[in-house]
Amino acid sequence: MTYDYHEPDSLAEALELLARHGEDAHVIAGATAFTLLWRQGLLRPAHVIGLRRIAALGGITRTGDRLVLGATTTHREIERSADVARYCPALARTFASVATVRVRNQATVGGNLAHADPAQDPPPMFMALGAEVVIASAQGERTMPVDELFVDVFTTSLRPGEIVTAVRLPALAAGTRATYVKFLPRTADDYATVSVAASLRLADDGTMADVRVALGACGPTPVRARSVEDALKGTRPDARRIADAAARVNADIEPFDDVRGSSDYKRDMARVWTERALTALVESR
Amino acid sequence: MKLSHTALVHAPRARVWKLVTDVPAAARCVPGVAAVTPSGAGKFKGSLLVQLGPVRLVLDGDVALTATDEAAGKASVRADAKDSRLGGTVRATMDLALVDKGEDTELRITSDVQIAGRIGEFGQPVIQRKADQLITQFAECLARTLA
Repeated sequence: MTYDYHEPDSLAEALELLARHGEDAHVIAGATAFTLLWRQGLLRPAHVIGLRRIAALGGITRTGDRLVLGATTTHREIERSADVARYCPALARTFASVATVRVRNQATVGGNLAHADPAQDPPPMFMALGAEVVIASAQGERTMPVDELFVDVFTTSLRPGEIVTAVRLPALAAGTRATYVKFLPRTADDYATVSVAASLRLADDGTMADVRVALGACGPTPVRARSVEDALKGTRPDARRIADAAARVNADIEPFDDVRGSSDYKRDMARVWTERALTALVESR
Repeated sequence: MKLSHTALVHAPRARVWKLVTDVPAAARCVPGVAAVTPSGAGKFKGSLLVQLGPVRLVLDGDVALTATDEAAGKASVRADAKDSRLGGTVRATMDLALVDKGEDTELRITSDVQIAGRIGEFGQPVIQRKADQLITQFAECLARTLA
C-alpha cells in the first residue's frame, strides 16, 4: 500500500491539493496520529498532504496580551516558549505533560485539534482559556470557539477542504489562574483516565468572577463542565462549595468503559479531579 | 459483542412490521447504505459506508431475513460483510421484536456482532457508540417513512 506524498510550500497550494483530491487525501503535520492509524491499517488515503514546509503555519506570536499558536507549532515548542509561559504557565505545563519528548517534538497543535481524540491534553486547556480555532479553505478563513470544534470521537466540525491554521488565545483578565491536572494510574506517558482543565478569576470581594472547567477522556469529545461552572459563578468558594460543585460534573460527561477504567469509575474520578483542580486554583492565592 | 437497543416508532405495529421485513425498504433507512439488490432465496447484497472521523469503512456483504413470526412480531436478520480495502469482517445477527404500544410501536433490537480484523482496532466503546447512532437514525427514519 502506497500513497502520493505532497509537501506544498504555501497554504494556497495545500488547499488546492485538498480540494482536488477530496476524500482521497489526508492532511498531516507531525503525522503522529496518522502514523498510528496507517500502521493499524485504518487509513488508506491515495494522497497525503504534509504541511510542515508552510512557514506561515508555524510559530508562536504574542500580540499584546493575546497569543497565536500556528497550526504546525510542535508541542515541544509550545512547552518551551517564553511567550507561552508569560501568557499562561499552565498552558506551557499542559503541553509539557503530553506523552513523551519524542512525541512532543513531532506532534503539532493543529494536528492535535484536527485528530479530535477525546483523551488528548491540550483541548480541555484551550476550552478553559476560551481559545478560538482559525480554519482556512479555498473559500476563505473562519474562526470558531474551540468548544464547537469537537463533535464526536475523532470527528470535528471541519468541513471537507478545510485546514486548521492556528489557535488564538484571548487576553486573560488580570488575576486569572489556570491549571491542568490528569489522572494517570498506569504510566506517565499514557492517555489520562480523566483530565481536568480549569481557569478562574476571583473578584476583589473574593467571589468567583469567571470560572471555566473542561474535561478530557470523559466521553466522545472533550467537554465543558457548565454545571460545575454555574454552581460556582458569583459564589465565594470554600471547600464545601467546591466539593458540591465538583459533584455536578456528572451531568456534563458520558465516559466510556475502557482499559483505563469503567464508566462509573471515571465518573467518580472526574468528580475527584475536578475538585482537586478547583481547590488548587482557589488556594493558589 | 452484544448490543441492545430500543426505539419508539410512531406508527401501528402492522405497518412497522411491513416496513422492517421489506429488506430493501428498511435498508433505505439505515444511514450509509448504498443500493440493496436481491440475490435470490431471500438474500440481498448491499453495502454500508461507516465514517468515523478520517476512517471510512465500506462494508460489502449479504443480508438475509432468517426467521419471521408476524403473529409474535419477531424477526431475525443476519448480515455478513467485509471491508476489502482495510481488511476486516463484520458478522451480525439481529433479533427484532415489535411491541404494540397503542398508536406507537416499540422496536427492540438485540444484536450479536462479531468483528474481525482491523475494524476491531476501534474497540467496543467506539463501535457501540456508532451502532447506537445508526439504530437511532434507523428508527427515526422508519417513523418518518410511516408518518
